[in-house]
Amino acid sequence: MKKLVALTIFATLFGTGLLAQNQVPQVEITPERKHAIDSLALEKVRDLSKYISIIGDKTTPWSDAQRVIERACELFMDGAEIGVSSINRPDQVNNYKIREYFDRLMQLNYSKVVIDWYKIQYVSDLERQPDGTFVGVITVYQKFQGYDKEKGLVYEDTTKKDITIYVKRKETQIGGRLIGFWDVMLGDIRVKETSKK
Amino acid sequence: MFAPLIPGAQNNIGGITGDESVFYAQTKQVNQFFRRFNAEEDVSGTRLYPGQNGYRDPKARRRYLNMIFDKDSPLVNTDQKTVFIEDVLNKKAPVFLDFHARDWYCEITTTFTWKKQTINIILYMRIEQQNGGYKWVLSNAYCDKFNSYFTHLGDTTNLKYFLHPMSHEVDFMNIHKALDDPKNIDYYLARDYVPDYLSLFVSELKEGNLKFVSVINEKFHVFQVPNWYFEISFFNRNSYNSGWLISNLVRLSPGDKKELLKHYTHSN
Repeated sequence: MKKLVALTIFATLFGTGLLAQNQVPQVEITPERKHAIDSLALEKVRDLSKYISIIGDKTTPWSDAQRVIERACELFMDGAEIGVSSINRPDQVNNYKIREYFDRLMQLNYSKVVIDWYKIQYVSDLERQPDGTFVGVITVYQKFQGYDKEKGLVYEDTTKKDITIYVKRKETQIGGRLIGFWDVMLGDIRVKETSKK
Repeated sequence: MFAPLIPGAQNNIGGITGDESVFYAQTKQVNQFFRRFNAEEDVSGTRLYPGQNGYRDPKARRRYLNMIFDKDSPLVNTDQKTVFIEDVLNKKAPVFLDFHARDWYCEITTTFTWKKQTINIILYMRIEQQNGGYKWVLSNAYCDKFNSYFTHLGDTTNLKYFLHPMSHEVDFMNIHKALDDPKNIDYYLARDYVPDYLSLFVSELKEGNLKFVSVINEKFHVFQVPNWYFEISFFNRNSYNSGWLISNLVRLSPGDKKELLKHYTHSN
């Protein structure tokens, strides 16, 4: 009976909007849940890595690259940016909108581009924001090589990429039933050069 | 020292083999600095939770604490470092860092354009709780240009710029002499007045005089270990001793903490 009363109060509070608009239900993330979310987030980062390699690859036809750019952009929250600094000018950060960054990557003036990813990755804790969304950062390292037709390897660098991830509890209706799930989106990325040749 | 901390492999993100040991050893995020300081992750960087083997293990902590100092810093004294580590590992009252606690601040150096010049402004940030979540908020600001507004503050040698002590009897009719001469207005301020640069910053920004350009550096000031202050900075170099490391360590005397905190938070 007590349980029923509690449930009714809970439903009433939500149903009539008595909970202030800026209050968000407090959802906890258990270590097991965090592990599952990490896997999901890493899957998105892997997708991004794959897309970057394809977009940068000079043998990828223009139309295919455009399709991949579309897919890559779908991984990100609206308004996400990529901030890039070089090892020689660490104090100068150039910010690009995600699509602009991919477009520039596609148009790089090398005859061949090789983009590889180090195996290492680091996943931060997830912190709750005031709006109830959780936020974390995944760090990965990338090696970039640019070749010239005649001179061979002309540019090489390794970059550290700190990728913001947003994690939100969402609901969807399947067969008339509300099913809850955790959605992961990528956010701003900070790119720092760690070495250059 | 770092070799035992480098695991054979982690989850594969997809690419190349090569010497990644530097990246494993590097303290890659401030989050990792906290976890290593507290021994809340294993050698491969996987989070450990209360009750798990190795969680906050004192032996692991000693190893981690030794590696999270910048080895080249002239501001880290070896003897002090040893005493600090012993204080942190105190068996009766070990000290752990808390991301959500108040006693730590971020300092970011930024560039703005102001009256057609490029200027640096230092912004101090701290973590604040709201609605069950957390956010970074501005706690103070510092700018050389703002400093120039207050060059005469506390000047006791001036015998020219003051409001005589009977001004009140004439309805301060003489105050216009102070207010019509803005370059010397700071002579008329109370000797103990502490300028609020954050208010000036907000005002200049809202008036459209300041335009943000970029963040050029970030470091952290930590006061969470009783009687100690330390600074964390990022070292971008090809070395096991890289990433977020302690770049300055100071043993605090009574009263030091209050003074330093006043600076970072603008609390009086």
